[in-house]
Amino acid sequence: MSEHHHIIPLKIYFIVAGILFFLTGVTVWVSYIDLGFLNIVIALLIAGTKATIVALFFMHLLWDDKKNLIAFVLSLMFLAIFMIITMSDTEFRGAINPEIKDPINKRAAFYDSLPLTDDHGNPIHEDGSHESGDKDDHH
Amino acid sequence: MSHNKSSPDFLYHHFYDVNQQYETSKLGMWGFILTEVLTFGALFVAYTVYRAWNPDMFINANLLLDVNKGLINTIVLIGSSLTMALAIWAIQLKKKKLSLIMLFVTFICAAIFLGIKYLEYEHKFHLGQLPGEYYSYMGPEIANMNNPHIFFSIYFIMTGLHGLHVAIGMGLIAWLMYLTARDKLHSAYYTPMELVGIFWHLVDIIWIFLFPLFYLIG
Amino acid sequence: MSDNHQNNYLTYPRGIMSWVLTLDHKRIGLMYLFGGMFFFFLAGVIALGMRLALATPEADFITNDQYNSMYTLHGAIMIFLFIIPAIPGALGNMLLPLMIGARDVAFPRLNLLSFYLYSLGAVFVIYTILAGGVDTGWTFYTPYSTTSTTNVIPMTLGIFVIGFSSILTGLNFIATIHKMRISGLTWYKLPLFVWALYGTSLVQITATPVIAITMVLLILERLLGIGIFDPALGGDPVLFQHFFWFYSHPAVYIMILPAFGIISEIIPVHSRKKIWGYKFIAYSTLSIAFIGFLVWGHHMFTSGQSVFSQIVFSFITYFVGIPTGIKIFSWMLTMYKGQVSFTPPMLYALSFLFLFTIGGLTGIFLGAVALDIHLHDTYFVVAHFHYVMQGGTIIAFLGGLHHWWPKTFGAMYNQTIANICAIGVFIGFNGTFFPQFLLGLRGMPRRYATYAQEYAEIHSYSTFWSLVLGLFIFIAVVNLLWSLRKNNKLDPGTNPWGALTMEWTHTTSPPHPHNFEEEPVLTHGPYDYDKVIVKPTFKK
Repeated sequence: MSEHHHIIPLKIYFIVAGILFFLTGVTVWVSYIDLGFLNIVIALLIAGTKATIVALFFMHLLWDDKKNLIAFVLSLMFLAIFMIITMSDTEFRGAINPEIKDPINKRAAFYDSLPLTDDHGNPIHEDGSHESGDKDDHH
Repeated sequence: MSHNKSSPDFLYHHFYDVNQQYETSKLGMWGFILTEVLTFGALFVAYTVYRAWNPDMFINANLLLDVNKGLINTIVLIGSSLTMALAIWAIQLKKKKLSLIMLFVTFICAAIFLGIKYLEYEHKFHLGQLPGEYYSYMGPEIANMNNPHIFFSIYFIMTGLHGLHVAIGMGLIAWLMYLTARDKLHSAYYTPMELVGIFWHLVDIIWIFLFPLFYLIG
Repeated sequence: MSDNHQNNYLTYPRGIMSWVLTLDHKRIGLMYLFGGMFFFFLAGVIALGMRLALATPEADFITNDQYNSMYTLHGAIMIFLFIIPAIPGALGNMLLPLMIGARDVAFPRLNLLSFYLYSLGAVFVIYTILAGGVDTGWTFYTPYSTTSTTNVIPMTLGIFVIGFSSILTGLNFIATIHKMRISGLTWYKLPLFVWALYGTSLVQITATPVIAITMVLLILERLLGIGIFDPALGGDPVLFQHFFWFYSHPAVYIMILPAFGIISEIIPVHSRKKIWGYKFIAYSTLSIAFIGFLVWGHHMFTSGQSVFSQIVFSFITYFVGIPTGIKIFSWMLTMYKGQVSFTPPMLYALSFLFLFTIGGLTGIFLGAVALDIHLHDTYFVVAHFHYVMQGGTIIAFLGGLHHWWPKTFGAMYNQTIANICAIGVFIGFNGTFFPQFLLGLRGMPRRYATYAQEYAEIHSYSTFWSLVLGLFIFIAVVNLLWSLRKNNKLDPGTNPWGALTMEWTHTTSPPHPHNFEEEPVLTHGPYDYDKVIVKPTFKK
């Protein structure tokens, strides 16, 4: 009465893991090169490829009942619908009344009362001296 | 109608046979994955909207994150995905001890991930790079950034929710180790391990997207 | 098995713990039924209180703040604690496995967990009421919901928890319908109620996670001020509305699709005729489920979203009415040349056809941006959604209760009283809500405790008929419960309506604890009234 299930060969596991590590390296390397808007495209393509091979191989979708794959694809489809239609609002505001195109408040008010800090987060005073130690007050 | 004496003890009474139970459980798990994709997906929508509205700020704020820690976490999590898959491979081939070791390694990798996350969060708390009105870091980079608290709000919510899932996964893996050690999971029945594995791979997939979107922008 | 031969799921196993820890889908269904009915009455009483307050233009006995709390609680309780869970939770749980020949749902323990999550969410809601209510409206729009001093967090936590109940039920039903049908029961031989539950479950698992994360974001915004919806911090309140309505519009299809399924069951049985357009009804269910995800912005036409998205949402909204219209025609064609008997379920089904058509059509009116700019947040919208939610879902639910009551309890209610109540509900409902269309067209805003004198006359009619409506619903439910008295049991083999679906032909009334005495074998299709002669085995 045991289940006769497909056992993935060991070397497939290691090849997939290898590809994942390799693509991770690629995506880090590419991020240091300025390609304008292509950076985000390439980053998402690489992430998408990694996710696909995790899903197909590690999560066994390649060999499973197709309903499982359909469930996963459907989830991505509905996410895409949500994102694209929401962006059809957020990206196209101000077509008729341009005053709503940009946020009312360009900069949150609390920044005006925050002191400049050094790169440890310690406030810098007017005379250039730094407070040392942990800062214990914030607005 | 009712199961006869030769029905295995892992077969629930409302299923006709082991195969129906297995396939139904997997289908149910994939339905759950659908819900998780949409839960995190809504947060990705928020990310996309705010990034489209503040493109330069996002690029500059991401420089405040430590790429090395993010990269180590990515490698650790991918590794844990491998060991999780190998745990299943091992139990399928009746290698109980190897399966337990693989589960344990997965658990440790998850703990390392959370440990590094803790270090990152602690550093941000120290610096004042916090969500919303708690934000107070005004270091040298601030001149290039408008409303950086938006970036950190989304960063903390998304990595926080993801970290919560890692923690839950750790609990589930510990449970699997217990079940395997007690021989409740074996080569004829390891469905819970497969289901937790699917969950764990999803956690990995989400991080695969979080890493470039927060640490490698521009 | 022979020791519980004479027993049914109500009597075996015995003891309170056997109910608290039950894994029997029928018992879980009953618990949902009574929980749901309790919250229906609670929210209904709040509504009657609102109508009494609205009978006169001034705030005589309820302050503005109290009124705000009342409509918030009325809406949230009705939607989250009754309409969304009730038909799948009560009728779905009770009937789905019986209709497909299964011994239980796919995941019985998850099913029990679903019910306990529903109960836990209900506790949060009750706490909210006792702690003084919440006044944001059930839609929780920011920025008011992030700054209101009322109990927003307990209420939203409650909704968060109830959301998981809904998700687990949906997961359970999808797995059950895919994998637990008896052999020979192909998709096109399923009762249409099963198709309806399937469509509903798909929507439940896809949409509900978004409201869950939205409630979390709202709570974080309140607690920590993260600023994601706050314009002062660079956030966007309209983004909250996108997140909220991405769930809440499909939610209305969660509310109505099971009701459509009930009507698809009642009409063939009580017309003794095969359903017309089986595949039309089945596929239109899936179309509605899908298209429903593309139209959420029609709730946001006055929110300040981009004109481009207004056009997109309005355009697609018009499509969602088409599959629904197809169903209405199919049901009417089913009755044509059938042997229609005017039983209580049939009267409710006929009410549904009339009331839901009005509700659905007025929804299409509201789908036009130019009209909605004037009608948004007026009583026209209030009337529209009461016609679809109450005239639609609740009427169908009452019809379903009357139809399956003999199956569930092995008892028959007084059909004369039930018929009178069905007619009374129909009249009371129209009297309450039809005038509200007129109020809305004349400009009466919703969520206002006081109003100008010009609206007073219509408001007074609406209040009067609302009391009639409440009275007849109350009597109808009491009539049902009265049938449960001792010594009123039917013979377990009865099939009072002469129905052909498996829950009627293959199980006793009430059903056996394990559903079927022997392995069920499919002998005919669910609507084969043209092929099979089934005599109703109960006379009034």
